[in-house]
Amino acid sequence: MTSAVIAGYARSAFTPANKGTLARVRPDTLAAEVLRVLAARASVRLEDVEDLIVGCAFPEGEQGLNVARWIGLLAGLPLGTAAATLNRFCGSSMSAIHMAAGAVMMNAGEVFFCAGVESMSRVPMGGFNPMPSPKLYAQMPQAYIAMGDTAENVASRWQISRAAQEEFALASHRKAAAAQAEGRLADELVAFSDAKVNSIQDECIRADASAEALAGLKPAFSANGSVTAGTSSPLTDGAAAVLVCSEDYARRNGLPMLARIKSIAVAGCEPEIMGIGPVAASKKALARAGITAQELDVIELNEAFAAQALACIHDLALDPAKINLDGGAIALGHPLGATGARITGKAAALLKRVNGRYALATQCIGGGQGIATVLEAI
Amino acid sequence: MAPIQSVAVIGAGVMGAGIAAHIANAGAHVLLLDIVPPGATARNVIAQGALDRLKKIDPAPLMGTRAIRRITPGNIEDDLQKLKDCDWIIEAVLERVDVKQALYQKLGAVRKPGAIISSNTSTIPLHELVAGMPPDFIENFCITHFFNPPRYMRLLEVVGGTAGNFAALQAFADEKLGKTVINCNDTPGFIANRIGTYWIQCAMVLAQEMGLEIEEADAVMGRPMGFPTTGVFGLMDLVGIDLGPHVSASLARLLPAQDAFHAVNHGGEVVSRLIAEGYTGNKGKGGFYRSARGADGKRAKTVLSLAQAAGTLAWQPVQKPEIPLLKEARRDLKKLLSAEDKYGRYAWAVLGRVLAYTASLVPEIATDIADIDTAMRLGYTWKFGPFELIDQLGADWVAQQLTRLGLAVPPILQKLGAGKFYQPDASGALTQFTQAGGYGPIRRPAGILSLADIKRAQKPLLTHACASVWDLDDGVLCFEMHAEARGVMRNMLDADSLGMLEKTLALVEKNYKALVLYNDDPREQPQKVSFSQGANIGLVAMVANIRLWSKLEASIQDGQRIYQAMRYAPFPVVGAPVGLALGGGCEMLLHCAAVQAYAESYIGLVEVGVGLVPGWGGCATLLARWAADQQLPKGPMPPVAKVFEIISTATVARSAAEAMELKFLRPEDGITMNRDRLLADAKIRALAMAVDYHAPEAPVLHLPGESARVALAMAVEGFQRRGIATAHDVTVAAALAQVLSGGETDARAPMTEAQVMALERQSFMALVRTRESQARIKSIIDTGKPLRN
Repeated sequence: MTSAVIAGYARSAFTPANKGTLARVRPDTLAAEVLRVLAARASVRLEDVEDLIVGCAFPEGEQGLNVARWIGLLAGLPLGTAAATLNRFCGSSMSAIHMAAGAVMMNAGEVFFCAGVESMSRVPMGGFNPMPSPKLYAQMPQAYIAMGDTAENVASRWQISRAAQEEFALASHRKAAAAQAEGRLADELVAFSDAKVNSIQDECIRADASAEALAGLKPAFSANGSVTAGTSSPLTDGAAAVLVCSEDYARRNGLPMLARIKSIAVAGCEPEIMGIGPVAASKKALARAGITAQELDVIELNEAFAAQALACIHDLALDPAKINLDGGAIALGHPLGATGARITGKAAALLKRVNGRYALATQCIGGGQGIATVLEAI
Repeated sequence: MAPIQSVAVIGAGVMGAGIAAHIANAGAHVLLLDIVPPGATARNVIAQGALDRLKKIDPAPLMGTRAIRRITPGNIEDDLQKLKDCDWIIEAVLERVDVKQALYQKLGAVRKPGAIISSNTSTIPLHELVAGMPPDFIENFCITHFFNPPRYMRLLEVVGGTAGNFAALQAFADEKLGKTVINCNDTPGFIANRIGTYWIQCAMVLAQEMGLEIEEADAVMGRPMGFPTTGVFGLMDLVGIDLGPHVSASLARLLPAQDAFHAVNHGGEVVSRLIAEGYTGNKGKGGFYRSARGADGKRAKTVLSLAQAAGTLAWQPVQKPEIPLLKEARRDLKKLLSAEDKYGRYAWAVLGRVLAYTASLVPEIATDIADIDTAMRLGYTWKFGPFELIDQLGADWVAQQLTRLGLAVPPILQKLGAGKFYQPDASGALTQFTQAGGYGPIRRPAGILSLADIKRAQKPLLTHACASVWDLDDGVLCFEMHAEARGVMRNMLDADSLGMLEKTLALVEKNYKALVLYNDDPREQPQKVSFSQGANIGLVAMVANIRLWSKLEASIQDGQRIYQAMRYAPFPVVGAPVGLALGGGCEMLLHCAAVQAYAESYIGLVEVGVGLVPGWGGCATLLARWAADQQLPKGPMPPVAKVFEIISTATVARSAAEAMELKFLRPEDGITMNRDRLLADAKIRALAMAVDYHAPEAPVLHLPGESARVALAMAVEGFQRRGIATAHDVTVAAALAQVLSGGETDARAPMTEAQVMALERQSFMALVRTRESQARIKSIIDTGKPLRN
């Protein structure tokens, strides 16, 4: 039986919502450009692409309808390539990769583009018309809990101190700033320019971040809380894309493979501590891969909040030295629908870079879920 | 002459930037230029920096969020050619003739034929500015002296700008900038600073000589005389202590030796020392007053000790002086002025000198006494001009008391004898005393309608303690509210005032074409004037206290009914607010067929501050307006969320322009920049609408129902966790959400205004029964401050 592999990864710069360069760019246009460049870099025959699956957490407005189809057409994919938009909030584009991997394994196509996009500038978190179910709210109000509040819950239940969160956030910025300065992000980035904007670089990273500045911030979600804007991922605009294909196809066509998809998993958890979602999902995925966390060489653990990332590291007994080598979402940004493709593609690329054997990409999901992917070197 | 459309301001200092901002407020495009600082890479850095500061200054120099887009920053090296397109170029650079003239050479070379160049100088005479300049330049040059802050100070002194070629500028200044233009002679300090500087010098010097402390002097020389309540020292802190010496020095240089100014132009050592040590006033680290940490570590207001100031500068905690005379002075100023204690002697020593000096300057600085009074009212925010003060005190009394001070009685006072400077003629219009010894008309621009004139000339058609109805002629009536509460005209609404409104509507329907709602107190700053501060919450508290709930609900219903009658009347009702229009006052405007608002109108639905929701159709109307906004994302939530945001935070627009952005005003409503022109503009609008008038159609609303309530509740709970919303805020917000979401409606079902107003009543009644809302109401009544419970 063939296996599914990751044969390419690219993303746009990630820029702060509303004030960053990409705030003025339509998300469909941005994702199409990333896709077009990825297709060119991977030198895949476009006629062979079965489907384009795009993750998006708030698929409305400019990223509404079946935005995947418009992105495909804008990117110049052939009419014969299908397209679907997929929503699992922050896990959307990692789910897109899972969907493609599943299709490969059951011989329902050989080549897939799996992308994610979110303009948090142009479509607000919560959407334009948030209309929660009164019935569900009555029986389970925490189903709709705001993300910042979940971070506070995790911080207090796992006793993650504010200082520990700030140390983690600072490290994320330092790693990302170093990676940026040393050009380690250049390979994955796709420049975007049009008549109005010119975007080349990530803009959320703060090379000048300091412990003092972080310590001076006010709590962002609870008057007596410990979570601040500095220990949360920023609202971000961006797009990311991954090429998933069968290992046979890659070998036949000489595509450069980054990693094999070894196992996948999703899991639900209590909505009010959604940040702990990666624990159950990762345990399942590791078990399915037949390995332990200690065998991982590369870990991409999404940093929705420092508090939840630290809680997951604790519960999964992960080695901090292997986590988010080029920085995480606190520094790079977290365009909801795009993050899954970014961390999976990044984990694959890093696995190759460090010459390791196993990698894990995992993230938490609003509403109470986790998602995980284990990759294996080829 | 073509109207002015494009303006440039050279010099992006405090005044230049403020003038540019106000020109943008007026809807014109303005180029703001300054120099390129040596070594600058960003060549517009000074003008751009001024633009950035404009957004942060309080009180805001800009009206609304859009005006700033009409200001283009630049520099005089690269952008000189752009001045070719400007109709008016205002110079607001350093007060040095050589600097100004060097600039004029450049401006003269690029300006288009007929374009006006003016200087904002306050210290240099016109003849010095134009000395040696070519005739063509001189012909199109004048002084336009703005007062700080340019948005708020209504006086514009113009020197040398009365010829026909300045007509467009005069019209622009009047109608667009909203200024009262006083054409001044080319005399030092023109009118306002000539008298104002003398007043400040007298007040400072005599306070020191007569042994008053600063807070004593300010208490005497402020409110009792209708001068700014800051008093003189507080005023200097406000405008900047460092400005005074420049104006004084220029007056000292320019005024003839016999001018009385020289006698009081001393005692500046304290001021010099303050400036030298950086105490330039509120803009710096404080001045005569400053905030400082006391022994307990808390910040408190301290005041410079004048008694000690001769030695070292020492500030002591402010102590409110106990001067019983000041209370009596409110009823009779003469009691204070003739008192023999140090306060009385100080009060008259200063005021007497100022009145005598002013009277002695006629006709040197102005032939019309009314021009001088207007200049002092609008340039120094005196409630009464010097000649109005003399009329209040009695000219003969003033003359007699001047002798007591050993001062000569100026000729015009001698001529007046026991008469009045102002008296109405047969038609009710005020006339002014002239040089010739008779009375002549008060000159003012054409097209101004003064309610004060009308009130002098006629009897009201209807009248009550709270409101009167006046005939504006041409079939238009004016509904004037004048309901006092605690000594201030707050125009709070109750059964009496709404009953008067109802009667007025009936009267108009029977015999007239249109109605204007207007009231103003032109002697007060607009921030202190109330179109209406809304429903009388004192009555609400009383009725709640005795639990007469059914009566309270009936009064809500009455208000709704009368406002609806006004909206759907077969004739147009035009609201013409000045100042505050809050709560029920805002709802009154929301129900007018049109609003013609003075630019300085402060409109908002503030009911949540007293723990209530708008109950007279404010929720329904604002919802309908936001629902019609094509710019908002589609779907049922965005208008609801927007209105919720506006009402739940008690947002008050800080200008009519901002009120339009918030939809308290509609795009088709009008904004009048010149306060004196508001009534005339409103009448013109009413008459124009009265032709073939049809009442508006009732809106149909589609509201999201229960799910919106959940979404809003979640948001508010988040605010509570963050410590932004209090427990009762959550309750009030929930009651508001109940109204704005449409109650139990389904998103597909159309709703009428009446249905939403029924929800308003329900939520209002539910809230008013809570102890917490009653506590909020009590707090506002007792302290004037909102309670955060």
